[in-house]
Formats: sequence, structure tokens, C-alpha cells
Amino acid sequence: MSVGRRSRANAAGRLSVLVGVLSVPTFVGVWELIARSRIVNAVLFPPPSTVAVAVLDWIHSGQFFGDLSASLFRVTAGFLIGATGGIVLGVLTGEFRLVSSLLSPLFHILRPIPPIAFVPIVILWFGLSEAGKLFLVVWGVFFTVWLATHIGVQKVDRGLIRAALMLGTPRRQMLSEIVLLGALPYIVVGLRTAVSISFYTLVAAELAGAFAGIVYRIEIAQQNMQTGQVMGGLAALGLLSFVADRSFAAIAERAVWWR
Amino acid sequence: MHNPLRPALPLRLVDAPPAPSSTTPQAIIRVEDLSIVFDVPRGQVIAVDRVSLAVMPGEFVSLVGPSGCGKSTLLNAMAGLEQPFEGLVTVAGESMLGPRPDVGMVFQQPHLFPWKSVRRNIAHGPRALGKSKAEALRIADDLIEMIGLTKFANAYPHTLSGGMQQRVAIARALANQPRVLLMDEPFGALDAQTRAVMQDNLLELRGRINATIVFVTHDIDEAILLSDRVLIMSAGPGRILRDLSVGLPRPRSSAILTDPAYLALKRDCLDLIRSEGRKAFEQMETVA
Ligand SMILES: Nc1ncnc2c1ncn2[C@@H]1O[C@H](COP(=O)(O)OP(=O)(O)OP(=O)(O)O)[C@@H](O)[C@H]1O
Ligand SMILES: [Mg+2]
Repeated sequence: MSVGRRSRANAAGRLSVLVGVLSVPTFVGVWELIARSRIVNAVLFPPPSTVAVAVLDWIHSGQFFGDLSASLFRVTAGFLIGATGGIVLGVLTGEFRLVSSLLSPLFHILRPIPPIAFVPIVILWFGLSEAGKLFLVVWGVFFTVWLATHIGVQKVDRGLIRAALMLGTPRRQMLSEIVLLGALPYIVVGLRTAVSISFYTLVAAELAGAFAGIVYRIEIAQQNMQTGQVMGGLAALGLLSFVADRSFAAIAERAVWWR
Repeated sequence: MHNPLRPALPLRLVDAPPAPSSTTPQAIIRVEDLSIVFDVPRGQVIAVDRVSLAVMPGEFVSLVGPSGCGKSTLLNAMAGLEQPFEGLVTVAGESMLGPRPDVGMVFQQPHLFPWKSVRRNIAHGPRALGKSKAEALRIADDLIEMIGLTKFANAYPHTLSGGMQQRVAIARALANQPRVLLMDEPFGALDAQTRAVMQDNLLELRGRINATIVFVTHDIDEAILLSDRVLIMSAGPGRILRDLSVGLPRPRSSAILTDPAYLALKRDCLDLIRSEGRKAFEQMETVA
């Protein structure tokens, strides 16, 4: 009887794996059928085959790698700068009352403003330069990482701090080891959220005006009514942020190495 | 006082006759008229109220008393983790203005660094004090052998049982070779069986180190078994009611806990605590 139940459970498991594998191809197939059936306007709703051709053209024209590297650079550099700043200031505001009194009120006012709302002022300040785009990504990433670090530092087990004090741990090691590693699980969660935020802000930054980039290419294609190219761009962006999120999740698992 | 109906039978538990006072010159720990007050939202709490005591080098002294009577606060003051509101705490003749490496502490929870292996947790202190990595690890390895965790040297704390973690915490505190080891209910979070093993371990360990130990516990058995002297504290505000010396011969082990002589001793001790408790209670009533 229990064997029967187990084999039924196995069968259910196999079925769900099969359905999972077929999910995307089915979706693409249905989309292809609908787009070709002329129920919808094929210019606005091109079939996947058209999208695929547009993506291949994009790659062959050589623009794809230029766009990809421009976007990747903005996301990566912006993430690294924003995350570093967020961690350093988070440790400082979390650990030192005075620094916190000085900066936290300001940060709490600025943090809830959606980074996209800064696009106009960024254009005034930086024009269409690369610095303005970096600024937006850094801005978005910074506050998320700062807040996570700040909270993490305040939640560091007081017992660990006392134990470290009793062992003669110098002030500097206290910050760089006990506090930082004690807060690391929180920081990692903040960094992971910041990965997706860096992509949101990238979109805003490139829509605001750029000369290369995946979102920039999507916008140009839209202006030329190349709907296939628009969808290809969206797919590329989705894939990119998916890969970034998954790789970060893998890194995060190793970052808190003692778990 | 002593129950007249029960003559001082095998009563090796007596008011410590030459109890070192806070002015005894050779004392290693001296607490003089110490009061510690905490600010709370509704005013102030007196956690320790004019306590004086002295501990001689090499002595093992227990502090017992009801929950909230200020045992931890008193211990933290000896550790330099709390500062006196009034009075003075000195260790080896110097005022405790902050934590010092010659005073080690073991807390109720092990508080091991979760990101460090057993070895590196124990090596943390020597490293922090500027010893070379090789030297620190050598010290750690010796202590790991002493606590019998050689197989777990490279394990991370969360993979160890509570008792093993607490053994590591003790070794970590010993790595700096403190002159004074303060222990705040170190076995309080362990089950009875593990606690008994740990008590025997500590008795054995004590033969090999020459630290002075102040040990906080709720458990009167534990206090008598381990200590040379038992200080009994009253319910808050924390004061020391009695200073009793335990004359049981050493070496001891938890086997004595079933010894009739020991049981008589414990009964007397509990009588003392009860009568003192009643006295304190009556005092409170007359005040009210
Ligand atoms: N940081 C603090 N702030 C405010 N009050 C405190 C603080 N630490 C201790 N107290 C108060 O001081 C008194 C003594 O506390 P303490 O922790 O020393 O007691 P204890 O004897 O160790 O109790 P237990 O046996 O439960 O550990 C208690 O009334 C407690 O509420
Ligand atoms: Mg306590």
C-alpha cells in the first residue's frame, strides 16, 4: 500500500517535470499560432520566429555586443560603487550614534524617492553622459545596501561583541571582523535586492537618453516600429537579469560560508 | 544561623572564619562598596547595592542567588563590562576600567564566532593580543586537546552540541591565560546529564590551570561541588547575605552529590537560604 502510494507520488513527480519542460515551448508555440492566425496585428504582435530573426540580425550587425557591454558596464560599475558605499556607510551609521544622527535622517528622507524620479535632474546635472547613468544605478543600489547594512550592524549579537571585548579584540578588528561578519547575513540579503534594483535603474538611465545599451536599442526599435526587435531586447534584458540574480544567489550562498 | 537542633554534624559548611575582606592585601579581586544602578524608562534600578568582597588568588568562589538579584551585573563589573555607580572593583590591584585580557569570561551562551572554526575561535584571543598566527594556533591546539575536541578542531560552532560549544568557549577564554576566569551560569543552558559531565570537566581542568574562578549559578549543588566559598546573594537590590566556606576535600567529582555528608551539608545551606529569604521577606513587610 505504501509502495503504491510512493509509486503514485513518483508518477506525479515525473508528470510535473514533464509539464515543466514543456511549459516554455508550449507558450512559444501558442504565441506563434496566434500571431500567424491574423487574429491579432502581426506588426504589433509578431510571432516568435520574427523575434528570433530580429535577434539574429542584432547579433550579426555587431550592435548586440556593444549594447550588451554598455549595459553590463553600467549595472556592474554602478552596483559595485553603490554597494561599497552602502556597506561602508551602513557600518558607520550602525555602529556610531553620532554618524547615525548626522546621516540617517537624511538617508531616510532620500531613500523612499524612486530613483527613476531623479532622471530629470540627472539630465540637468550630467546631460547624457555616462556619469549620469552610473549615478542613477549607484543611487538605487546605495540606499538598499545602506539600510540592510545599518540594520544588520545593529542586530549583531551583543554577546559576540562582549565576548570579543573580553578577548582583547582591538577596535579596528571589532569593526572589520566582528561587526561586519556579524551583519553579513543581512548585508547579503540587501545586496541581492540591490541586484534587481540596479536593473530597474538601468532601464530608467538608458530610456533617459543613451548612445548604446540594451534598453536604448529597445527604445530605438520602438521608434522604428520594429516590434520584433523590441521583444528581442526585452528577452535579452530578462535573460541578463535572470543570470545576474542566479549568479548572485550562488555567490551569496558561499558568502556566508559558515552556514 | 545554624539550626541548634541539628548539631554541626559533618558540617564542613561554615561561615568562612577568616573570610578575606575587601581590605585583605593579598586578594586578587577586590570589590569595595560597589553599587551599580541602571537607568530605566521609569527611573533607576539598583542592581548591586553596596557589595564588598574579596577573592584570594587560586580560589574558586560561587555566587548564588535568586534570578534578577544582580549576579551577572556584579560579575560584569569584575569583567570591566559595567562601571561602578559607586565604589571600586580592582583585579590584581588595578581598577577595572574596561575589559582586560588578564580577566576572562565565559557567558551562559557560548557566543562563539560562527564564522570561525573551533581552532580559530580559540586562537582569536592570542591573535588579538598580537601573537603570531603559528603561536596562536599552537595554543589553540593544546587547549583543544585539553577539552577533548581534537576531532572537531576544524568544525564550525553550529555543528557542535551545546556542551561542546561551551567547552570551546571555556578554552577560548583560557587561551589568553587569564589570572581571573569569570563564569556566568556557564552550564545553565545545558541538560542535567551534560551539566554533570561539564562540572567534572571543570573540576579536572581546574587542576591544570591556576586561574582564580568566580562562578555564578542558580544551582546550589553545583556551587558546593565546585567551590571553596559560596556567596549567597539576596533578592534585589543585590547584596551579599552570607559568605560560606566549603570544606569538602578535593579532588571532588559529581559522585559526592549522593554522599550523605554532602546531603546534610546541602540541607543546611538551603535552610540558610530559606531563613534569610524569610527574613528579607519579613523586612519587606515591616517596611511596607
Ligand atoms: N542593562 C540593563 N538595563 C537595565 N536594567 C538592568 C540591566 N541589566 C540588568 N538590569 C537589572 O538589574 C537587575 C539585576 O540583573 P542581573 O542580570 O545582574 O541579575 P541576575 O542575578 O544575573 O539574574 P539571572 O539569575 O536571571 O541571570 C535586574 O533587576 C535587571 O532587571
Ligand atoms: Mg544573570
